[in-house]
This record gives sequence, structure tokens and C-alpha cells, in this order.
Amino acid sequence: MTEDLEQKLRDEVRTLLEKGKIEHVIGYGEGSLKFATTPIMISDQADVDRLVINPFIHNNLSVLLPEVSGKVAVVAKVCDARSIISLVQNKQVARENVFIIGVPCNGIVDVAKVEKLTGLDRDEIDAVTWKDDRLVVTFAGGSKEFSAPEVALDSCLDCDCSGFKEFDLVIGEITPVAANKELSRVRIKEMEAMTPAQRWEFWKNEFSRCIRCYACRQICPVCFCERCFVEETEPLWVSPLPRWQDNLIFQAVRMMHVAGRCTDCGECQRACPVNIPLGLLTGKMEDIVDELFDYRAGMDKDAAPLMAAYEPEEAEDLMR
Amino acid sequence: MDTFEPKIVAFCCNWCSYAGADLAGTSRMQYPPNIRIIRVMCSGRVNPSFVLKALSVGADGVLVLGCHPGDCHYLTGNYRTRRRMAITKKFLEYMGVEPERVQVSWCSASEGSRFAEVVSAVTDDLKQLSPNRLFND
Repeated sequence: MTEDLEQKLRDEVRTLLEKGKIEHVIGYGEGSLKFATTPIMISDQADVDRLVINPFIHNNLSVLLPEVSGKVAVVAKVCDARSIISLVQNKQVARENVFIIGVPCNGIVDVAKVEKLTGLDRDEIDAVTWKDDRLVVTFAGGSKEFSAPEVALDSCLDCDCSGFKEFDLVIGEITPVAANKELSRVRIKEMEAMTPAQRWEFWKNEFSRCIRCYACRQICPVCFCERCFVEETEPLWVSPLPRWQDNLIFQAVRMMHVAGRCTDCGECQRACPVNIPLGLLTGKMEDIVDELFDYRAGMDKDAAPLMAAYEPEEAEDLMR
Repeated sequence: MDTFEPKIVAFCCNWCSYAGADLAGTSRMQYPPNIRIIRVMCSGRVNPSFVLKALSVGADGVLVLGCHPGDCHYLTGNYRTRRRMAITKKFLEYMGVEPERVQVSWCSASEGSRFAEVVSAVTDDLKQLSPNRLFND
């Protein structure tokens, strides 16, 4: 199935480049590690065969868009495409300069989950492929099947691609992911059941590990400020001392700044070298924005950004 | 704990609430001396980072005061404050900051008595909590 899609993608991209409809394409190439892909940019038809589609196309490529000039095609899953629309809404890229190529995805496979479920190291696994909505893992001496919610990234669990209509071209057919919204919110519900003091303790534990490498910020498509508040020194918002509270302030303010732009794509959590569960923050923020303002980021390119709009009556119950 | 006097940082907008505070003062109204007012040109100026900065350097609570919705000197500034602060409040609560520590209210230039009431109420709320030790261990 994926070979067909790959071939179709390559053919379409070749035609687009040939006709001059696009100057570049940003897509996924074979990664240097097993079960990984790497972002590639192609401007020459001869290189088109380097494009791949497989269960590991995890990068959100929209982060690269504001840095590329000219007309660019992007290979995008629904979550990535929502980030692109979020960038369009916030005037970071012009819609007419982006050609969004939608690719289907059953949920991006979290190799760590597969390792855990099979009890095998990734070097011992031979192949991982989708067969309809089941993931087939083959290894020396057999194979196992898993359902999408078992093996997908946490951020895929609440994926809802229905209603997204902004693709310029769709390869294959975008079918709803076997999502499980309830499952995706189990940990957030657990957090909400705690007292504030327990939650603070939880985040203290998590943010004590933060090395403030800012990988979460760099990989975030909608963190596009030219100068980040953490780099401002007058006033100094975040102390350069390695205090966990300042790590928390950085992340909390970052989350509040991207509220209404964040599509909960899960890239920040994936990029985090110390595994801070940032999905618990992005997921909650998505819920807050939806609950208070009935707003979903990146769904409608003509909708005003959340923070640039208002209703005369809203959220008054939170005010004194 | 009955001697705990909370420190409250109040961000007041220049056109309504700051003038409201002024009116409360010139009218000799009584309100708790726990607030430290910082004047901003509009409550829409208040970034979530201001709130966290205040809490991290020792404030027990933060109060953001703006013009009543619809009465903003800049027409729509306080509507934006409302969106931003609603999210800030909810999100900080989720992180473990007690909701009483971040409060938002509206107060016009002619509402000196309302200013005194809001400050009293927020001070009472914070007296129920313990001093803010979130940012200093």
C-alpha cells in the first residue's frame, strides 16, 4: 500500500515541478536510522525518487516553511497541514505560495511503544507496515499485529481530520484515524483530579530535568517570534540560573503564547531530550481554547487568529 | 497564619482602573494596603509573562484590572485581555497555581468604591491561602 502511495506522490511531484507549478518540495526522505525519516527539500526532478511515505513520517515539516521563498509544496499529514493553515492565519506564509500535498496516515508509529509491546529492540525488528488499520510488525520468527491506538504517538490519539478541507492535492484517501479521544485524555483527567499542590509537585519533578535546550521551541511551527522572550535581558523574564521554576516559566509562557495556534501536533514532546510530557500541556491548552472559545487552531484559513478576535460576551464567569 | 498579609501586584489600566484607584484614594475610601499598583496603558498590555514574573519574584497574587468590556479607551484592548487572561488563569490552575492567585476584574474611573471592594475581596481570597512559596524552594 505504501509503495503505491510513494509512487503516486513521486509522480505528482514530478509533474508539478515539470509544469513549474512549484519551485521546491519539502517532504520526507529515508532516515539514517532504522524506522526514521528525515526532512528533505527537493528542487530538481531527478531527486524526486528520494521521497518516501511510511509509518514513521513524524516530522511536522511546516516548521521549515517560513524559511523558504518561492512556491513550495509540502508533504503533510492533517496535523501538519493544520499547522500550515495556522501559519497562514498568522500571516507567516502566504497561502498562494504553499501547495499542500495531503498524505494519509493511520497515526504515526511510536517505535518505543512497539518495542515495549513486542519486547524487542528495534534492531531485532525487520519490518513495520500498515495493513489496513492494523500495524504488522515482523521479526525473525514471526509477526504480530497491533491496533492503531496501541502503537500511535500520544498526540495521534485525539486526531480528528474530518472537516479539514485545505489540501491542494491528496495522495490516496484520507480516512479518519482510529483515534481514541478518551484514551488521549486519560492522563490529563488524572492531572485534573489532583490538588493544585500535587500538580505543582508533578511539574516540579518534570521540569527539574529540563536542560533548557529549547528544542521544543525550535521544532514548533507556530513558535515563530523573531526574538523569544527568554532571550530578553531587560527585563529578565526567565533567570539564566538552572532553577526548575524558571524552566517551568519558560514552558508555561511559551504554551500561553502559542494558544490558539498550537494544533497539538506533538512535535515538542517528541523533540524533548529528557522526555517531559509536554503533550499534557498542549492537549490541555487545546481543550481550554475549545471549551472557552469554541476554537480549533488551523482549521479555517479565513478565521481570525484566536488572540486577534473576540466576542462581546465570553469568559465572564472567570472574571471577578 | 492569621498575621499573613498577602502581597498583591495589581496591573491597572491608565484610563479606567488606575483613575478608579485614584478616586478611591481621593474619596478617602478604606481598602487593604496589600496591593502594589503597576500602571499600564491598557490591560491588554499585560502579557502572561508579567503574571508569572510577579509570582516568581514574590507576589502572593496578581490582579489585572481593566475598563469594563465595551468601555476600553482603545475600543477593544480589554476584550483581548479577557481572552488572554481567561487562558492564563485556566492554564496556570492546571499547572498547580491556585486559581485565587490570578484574578481579573473590571473597574471604571468613576467606580472608586468598586475598586475598594475588588481589592478587599481579592485580599480576603489570598488570606485564605498560604504565602506563595511556589517559586522559592
